[in-house]
Parts: sequence; C-alpha cells; structure tokens
Amino acid sequence: MLLSGFGFHLVEFGHLAAYLALVVALIQGLSPLAARLLHRPELTRINFHASIAMFVLTTIGAATLIHAFVTGNYSVQYVASNSNSHLPIFYKVAALWGSHEGSLYLWVWVLTLFTMVVAFHGRRRYPDRLPMVLAVQGLLMVGFFGLILFLSNPFLRLFPVPADGRDLNPLLQDPGMVFHPPMLYLGYVGFSVPFAFAMTALITRWKSEFWIVHIRRWALIAWGFLTTGILLGGWWAYYELGWGGYWAWDPVENASFMPWLVGTALVHSITVQERRRMLHAWNLFLVITAFSLSLLGTFLVRSGVLSSVHAFAVDPGRGAYILAFMVTVLTVSFGIFLARGGFQESEEGMSSVLSRESLFVWNNVIFTVAAACVLLGTLYPLALDALSGGQDKITVGAPYFNAVMVPIFLMVLLLMAVAPMVPWRKANTERLRRRLLVPVSLAVVAGSIMLIAAWPMHWTAPVASALIAFVTGTIAMDYARAVRQRRQQHATETLWRALWRTLSFNRRHWGGMVVHLGIAIIAIGLTGSGVFRQEKAVVMVPGEIVEVGGERLRFDGVRSFVRDNYQAIQGQFTLLNKNVLVLPERRRYPVQDMPTTESGIHSTLWRDVYVVLAEPAAGNGVMKWGVHVYVNPLVQWIWGGGMVILLGLFLTLSMRRRERATSPAAVIAEAR
Amino acid sequence: MKYCMWALVLMSMAPNLLAAQNGLDSVQEDPLDRQVLEIAKDLRCAVCQNQPVAESNADLAKDMRKVIREQLQAGKTREQIVDYFVARYGDYVLMKPPADRAGLPLWLAPPLVLAVLAVGGWLFMRRRTRQTATPAPVLSEEDRARVRAARNQQES
Repeated sequence: MLLSGFGFHLVEFGHLAAYLALVVALIQGLSPLAARLLHRPELTRINFHASIAMFVLTTIGAATLIHAFVTGNYSVQYVASNSNSHLPIFYKVAALWGSHEGSLYLWVWVLTLFTMVVAFHGRRRYPDRLPMVLAVQGLLMVGFFGLILFLSNPFLRLFPVPADGRDLNPLLQDPGMVFHPPMLYLGYVGFSVPFAFAMTALITRWKSEFWIVHIRRWALIAWGFLTTGILLGGWWAYYELGWGGYWAWDPVENASFMPWLVGTALVHSITVQERRRMLHAWNLFLVITAFSLSLLGTFLVRSGVLSSVHAFAVDPGRGAYILAFMVTVLTVSFGIFLARGGFQESEEGMSSVLSRESLFVWNNVIFTVAAACVLLGTLYPLALDALSGGQDKITVGAPYFNAVMVPIFLMVLLLMAVAPMVPWRKANTERLRRRLLVPVSLAVVAGSIMLIAAWPMHWTAPVASALIAFVTGTIAMDYARAVRQRRQQHATETLWRALWRTLSFNRRHWGGMVVHLGIAIIAIGLTGSGVFRQEKAVVMVPGEIVEVGGERLRFDGVRSFVRDNYQAIQGQFTLLNKNVLVLPERRRYPVQDMPTTESGIHSTLWRDVYVVLAEPAAGNGVMKWGVHVYVNPLVQWIWGGGMVILLGLFLTLSMRRRERATSPAAVIAEAR
Repeated sequence: MKYCMWALVLMSMAPNLLAAQNGLDSVQEDPLDRQVLEIAKDLRCAVCQNQPVAESNADLAKDMRKVIREQLQAGKTREQIVDYFVARYGDYVLMKPPADRAGLPLWLAPPLVLAVLAVGGWLFMRRRTRQTATPAPVLSEEDRARVRAARNQQES
C-alpha cells in the first residue's frame, strides 16, 4: 500500500522478457559466425530453438502489454498515452499498435512469428541452410529490439501514476484501423522471409533452384497481406476521413504502396525463374528491394520524418538510429548482392523477343518504373527540404501522382490483357493474332460505347474501359478454350464439373487469372469513381432537398447523443428515390478534444451516395448546416475486386503437391 | 461555446415551416462556393499534412478559402489567385509541383526512368535471344539445291 506506485506489475515481467529476447536474438544472429570461428558447426543447431524462444518471449511481452491496456494500468507510459478507461475493450487491445512504440513491437512480434514458422518449415527441407536463414532474421530482430528497448520502449513506467489515460487517437477508434496495421505489417514482415533466403543464398552460395519454390509462397502470402492492408486502409479512409475519396497519395499510403509494387514485380518474375530458369540475379535484387522498401515504409511512417523533416531532429536518438539501421541494412544487403550476385550462372537463353517470359520482363520494367516514381515523389520533397535547409519546399500531391501513375496503370492493364495469351518460349504471331481478335474487338466496342454514352469526359475513361474489356475478354477466352479442351478429353463430364476441374487442375495458372480479374474489377471501380464522381457542397435547412446525379436527398434535421467514448451530432437524411435513411455524424472525443467525421453512405453495386455533415452556420434564426454530397459510381467494385484477388490467391496457394512438382525448379527442390 | 453549439442543435430540430413550403425544390449549390472549392483543391493547406485547402478543417484552410472567395468576388481569375498564394507561400502551396524550378526533376524523371529501363530490358532480351539462337549450319552447294527444289515443289 505504501509503495503502490512501485508495486510489481506483470508488465515488468514482459519488459524482462523483451530484454531476454534481445539476447536470444543476438545469439541467433551470431551463431553461424561463432560456429565458423570456433570450428564447431553444431553450434548453429541452437537457432531452431532460439527462434521458438524468440516467439515465446516476444509474445509474453505483448501479452503483458495487452494486459496492462485491458486492466487500465496507467503506470505504463504507453498505456497512459494511448488508452482511457472509457475506451471499449476492443480498442484497448488494438491500442497496442495505436502508436509508435507499440507498432514497432507488433512488427517485431510478427517477425518472430514468421521466423518460427520458417524454422519448422525448413527443419526437414533445408536443414543445412536453415541456421543462416534464421540468423539473418535474428539480426533484423536485434535491430528492432535495440530500437524498441533503448529508444522507443513501450514498457516504460510513469510516476506519479495518472488517474486516467489520454485516450487513443479518435481517428484510430474504428474497426478498419484495428485490422489495417496488422495486415500491412504481416505483408511488410512477410518480405523479410524471402530477404533472409536471398541473403543466405548469397552468403553460402546456395543455388536458387533449391529455394525459389519456398520463397514464392512467402512472397505471395506477403503480397496478399499487403494488398489486404492497403485496401483496408483505403476503405477506412473512405468512410472515416470524409472527403469522398479513398486514396490521396499521401506519403503514408505511398509507403505501403512501394513494397506492393515491387512485390508484384517479384511474384511475376519468380514465375519466370521457376519455369524458365532466368532472371536469377534480378530476382535477388527484387527480393532485397521489396524488403528494403518495407523497412523504408515502416520508418517513413514511424520516424516522424513525414510531418516535417525537422521533426526527425526533435528526437535525434530515434531518428539517427532509424537512419543508421536503414543504411546498414541497405549497404550490407546490396553490398553482398553486388559482390556475390553473379554466382548464378546457369541462365537459360530466351527463344524469342515475343514470348511469355519477355512479357514478364516488360511487366517487371513497368512495375519497377511505377515503384521508382512513387519513391521519387515521396522522398524528393523531403530531400529538397533537408538539402536546402528549409529554403526550398515543394508539395507533391495527388494531382502529380495521378498524372504520372494513371498512364503506367493503363500500360499494366494492356500487358495483363495480352500476356496470358502469349505462350512460353516463342509465340506464333499468326495464332496470337487469331486469339486476340475477339478480346480486341470487345475492347473497341467497350471503348466506343463509353465514348458515346458519356461524352464529354476525361480521356482515361474510354481507354480504361477498353483495356478492362480487353483483360476480361482474354481471361474469359482463355478459360473457355481450356474448358473446351477438357471436355474433348473427358466427354462424360458435366459442364459444371468440367468448369471446376479446369480450374482445380491448374490452380497456379487460374489462381493468377482470378487475381487478374480482381485487378480488372478494381480498375472498374477506380475508373468509375475517379472519372465520374459528382459532388455538391450546399448549405441546408431541415426539410430541404438536394439533388446530385439524379439522387434526391432530404435533410430532416440533426439529433445528438452521447456514447462512452464520444459525443455525436447525427444528421438525418432521407434518400428519397430509395426511401432509406443516411446518417452522417460529427463526433467529438472529449479526452483529446478532437472532432472527427463519420460519413453517411448508401451503397449499391452501381454507386455510393456519400454524405458528410459539415459545419453548422446560423442565419436568420434558423440553424443551417453545411452538407457535402458525393455520388461516387462503382466504388463498391474496389472492395469487391479485393475479395476476388484474395480468392485467386487462395486458389493459387492451394496448389497440390503433384502440380507443384511440374516446374523444373520444384522438381529439383523436391528431389533433395 | 459547447453549450452554444448544443442550443443551436436543438433549435435546428424544431420543424421549419419555411423550408417545408418549398421542400420540393432542390437546394442549389452556390456557384461561387463551387469556384472556391475548385481552386482550393489545387492548393495545399500549409499547416496540414499533404491536405488540400478544400478538404481541411484547419483554421488556416478556412482563412485561405475566405481569401479565395474575396478575390473571386473582386473579379480575379483563377491564375491570379493561385499566383497570389504562390507569391506568399512559395511553390509549396501547389498540390501539383511546377514543371520548372525545383519541381522539374519530378516531371523529367518518370519518362526518363521508363526509357532507361525499357531500353535496358530490350537490350537484355536481345542479348539473351542471340545467345540461344544456334548459328545456321553452313550448307554445301548440293544441300542448298535440295532445299531450293523442295521449296519450289511446295509453292507450285
């Protein structure tokens, strides 16, 4: 009682576990070196157990932090800054990754989880290289635990203990925000596994035929999580931020988009290496780049460098550490790559400039350009500001990225439409022309219909709709041909069975095609909402009606209510042509005294009516409200396309062992 | 301030006869408001993180919207208003970086990177295809005659 502030708390146990984890990570990271120096190879055997210990220790740390959040232990500084007794329990748990310290901890927690999974996966399959793979992961953990324990420690205690916490940032008190960061981090950290393999391969001269199959799955999984994370982020921004859009090309968004672009290039070029034994060195480069950009993404968001270059200097220790860690990882990994990257010499030649593999190369060119452009647009203003000492400042906003990236995406669509029709090795131009005839005609028809129906409009609309029709056309034709072939061979099968069997016997290919279809669906949503959005900003008195894009919306007044963690003013609108209520809110979270908006959205497959209650304005004794109404066509297709992408990804990943063994690389890997 | 707000809210909930009378006509957007918003979309709210003036609730953004409105009312054109803000805040205030001065590299780089990588990719593939193409065997005069004969036969 006397020393209640100093009483033993569970969280100290977690703190101790985190320190132990740092020690274990050091052992795990250095064991191959020790084994070599002491000529005792058996020393590396410890890494398998170390990776399990790492996960257990880090989980203990996380569990004690969550316990501190749930029980409201405000003697923990991080809990006091990011929680409050009125916070619903759901958000108390999620508050673990609500701010800087905790999200780094989440990062390293996921890293230990993935490392343990690799340890179990590799114990029988590649026991000789496993210690090195785990050691690379271990060194990354050392880097992160060093940052966590010495510069941004979530376990720090506070004295005197405050009566209550300062609450979680209201913008984060939303289900979308609960799942968005973990998904992104699962993606970011997922790329650390291919990275560890690549480093191991370079250091121990491990031929990529033996490991490319394993990292393909990891790259796909990481890519899937990243895609989910990005889409969840867009979805959250859409209904929470209240400006009618879902993607603002904000540096924070770009930070997650860059690894996605390089990851997309990677999952394609891995296929070329597996099938045609090419691009070994390029794949290593992509693996290293994808992970470096994941690190960069984490640090851009987490170092405060984005809000201002000078915020970096406010906390010099943390900024310098982060910069030094990045520079070390980049120098070491690219250094090793440059020194050893040439050892993969068994490249096969290309048979023709027009072949599936050559189109994969073009895919890589375009995605690399896209990533480079986003990188430049994100870092250039920071660099300019820092180098000119704050003299020269520019903004690189959404108009720039739209101007640069839209043409690149259209090229991606074009490639996506043509490539699946082109066979490996060498394309027969005559046959290709025949195969493309129907999809191209579809494209022309779709583009012309768009031109006639919606004239005048931005040039991207007809081009995009033509390309989307082209993509779906080729996928449909490809599938139809495969089904027809199967029915000729298995005449007794019913149509439905043939449809399913065709998919199921080549899950790898059709999974990819389903993902492409998902991208086309997203492209429909992006085109619809990007080009044909209609909006009105009006001032309304209850009873008045506003008409936007054929939707009639009546303002019925506002009501107010109080919840545990916020007070709200809710606007009551009736969408007259559907006879449904639309209820946008303005909320105020008293602890942080921060206003937020909740958009009122009525969605159908074809359009969203999106209502934002803006500011009140008194006039002539009547309460008037600013109201923003947006009609966003086809937005739901974006989220739907995301679902289709995940479906395709599951199909690809559910590939059977027998099927897996058909690629040359897989045969070699399985034969060992 | 807070109580004032709630009082206003309560007032607004009282039925409004005036509005009910012409409830069937839709509210029109003030064209000036639209013009202000269209200009404010391309200007950055200087104190926000990468947010245009049109979408920001910061006090500075409100002030900037007011300035835009006043200048529009004074008969200034869009260009003049944008120039006014650039003169005060520098290029920083433009959401789209200018294609000269400090913004130039941003506009040059994308086509340049595309060109370099495209040429690189093309050369890489050219080299790879040459490597595999087995050199055409040297035919004797006798063999060549046979090939010619076969071709002629097919064509006729």
